[in-house]
Amino acid sequence: MAVRGWPEHLDSVVEEFEDCFDSMERYELLFEYAKKHPSPLPADEWDEDNQVHGCQSRAHVVCTLDQSGNFLMRAGADAQIVQGLMSVTAMAVNGMRPNEVSQLSPDYADAMGIRNSLTPSRANGFMNMFERVRSEAERMV
Amino acid sequence: MGLDIEAIRADFPILNRVLPNGKKLVYFDNAATSQKPQVVIDAMSRYYEEYNSNAHRANHTLADEATTALEEARSKISRYFGTTPENMIYTSGATEAINLVAYGWARYNLQRDDVVVVTEMEHHADIVPWQELNKEKGIEVRYVPINSRTFTLDMEAFEVALEGAKLVCVVHTSNVLGIRNPVEEIIQKSQAIGARVLLDCAQGAPHERLFFDNMGADFVAISAHKMAGPTGIGCILVKSDAMAEMGPFMTGGSMIRTVSTEGTTFQEGHAMFETGTPRIAEAIGWGAAVGWLSQFDMKEVHAHIHDISSWTADQMLEIPGIRVFGDPNHPNSSGAVSFLHDSIQSQDLAILLDEGGFAVRTGHHCAQPLMDALGVPSTNRASFWIYNTLDEAQAFVEHLRYVCERFA
Repeated sequence: MAVRGWPEHLDSVVEEFEDCFDSMERYELLFEYAKKHPSPLPADEWDEDNQVHGCQSRAHVVCTLDQSGNFLMRAGADAQIVQGLMSVTAMAVNGMRPNEVSQLSPDYADAMGIRNSLTPSRANGFMNMFERVRSEAERMV
Repeated sequence: MGLDIEAIRADFPILNRVLPNGKKLVYFDNAATSQKPQVVIDAMSRYYEEYNSNAHRANHTLADEATTALEEARSKISRYFGTTPENMIYTSGATEAINLVAYGWARYNLQRDDVVVVTEMEHHADIVPWQELNKEKGIEVRYVPINSRTFTLDMEAFEVALEGAKLVCVVHTSNVLGIRNPVEEIIQKSQAIGARVLLDCAQGAPHERLFFDNMGADFVAISAHKMAGPTGIGCILVKSDAMAEMGPFMTGGSMIRTVSTEGTTFQEGHAMFETGTPRIAEAIGWGAAVGWLSQFDMKEVHAHIHDISSWTADQMLEIPGIRVFGDPNHPNSSGAVSFLHDSIQSQDLAILLDEGGFAVRTGHHCAQPLMDALGVPSTNRASFWIYNTLDEAQAFVEHLRYVCERFA
């Protein structure tokens, strides 16, 4: 049995995507997750410093520590698919210790069936966003 | 006699492609690059399989065959564009062709404060070289705006901008809007004041037959890959008197006559501008492409494409939330339909269309000043060509409607 590369609290999200009938249903679900982003970054906070390059659309990420010293990722994108991926990533990493985030694998996107159905440039965009989060976490360790 | 679209489609093996999600490809990204017919693929393969060799360099059999094929391609291509081989310079595409005018003609012939007129409708390839020359030589770059209601060039503003101009650079057909500009009027008015004219025909050449010697333009930039030819090759067609005013752009092998430690003398004519090993396979492929295109009446091709694009645009406008830019019903429009949905972001929409097998372009289309004029950061663009069908367009509209209803 394969070793799960994502935190346990993401299991239910991954399962929800795994249960989708087809890719359109998966995208629909991703649009829903975009709306329930736990820590969105409003557009008026988007700037050159927090922009994630490599996405075809605009994507911005700000990573900080909350009052308990846990990781907090705030993110925003103009495309709902990217925003949905950010939402799921925030659900994964928010509240974790920075050293846990720095060791996180992007496998959850594969398990959700999303990374495979994205265009290569879009997938690169996801990976750029993911690497940005992971490197910020490394910096905080 | 009408076009036999099924026979045309049979020439393009890629049109049978099934995507990884099991959907059959519907290719509506032709303004980015067209697909290639089997004769082009075969011609390039045959070169590599049977007579791959460098051209203009050796006396062995393969070199002779490669040189002959390269020059025969130049003859075929220049004849297709209504001119002679002497007036055609191979480039990597329209972008290098325009840069060749900027650095091989304008840099030698324009002085500080000389005026170059461009339009808001230009591809970046026809804007950035002039901005760079502005920095290097102090030339003045004037921009002709578009009319935001009709999406056409503001010709009154053009006449104002034209005053005292030395060079006028205009896109023949917009890659975003599909609109064909009134190039005949632009050439006539520009030349009346002694300005030279550069036409960017990257989008025009796949949609109408261009006869350079009759057009009056001094420079015409063309890309092969948008008209059934391979990527990596194009040309600039240049009037003889304008070519006589040009100097070297890139230097190196092939373009020299003699080189010594004392200095270098250059070839004359098109040879001065074709540096290094030529794009032999690409030229042969492009020659095959124009041979393939020659069997068609391009007016019929245009009418076929126009039928599809105008029908598609009309149907798209029936879908709540869809905006169409340009005027696809105008008889001169050439098959690019730019559109946006008011709540589904363009990248999202492109991915959702791709899920249905429909390949469309998304982004600023290398035309950010035009995007600014339209007041949007990007558009989706469906662009059609000779092998597309109304059935494909119907399936596209149906899928677009489904996506909009489900995701808006």
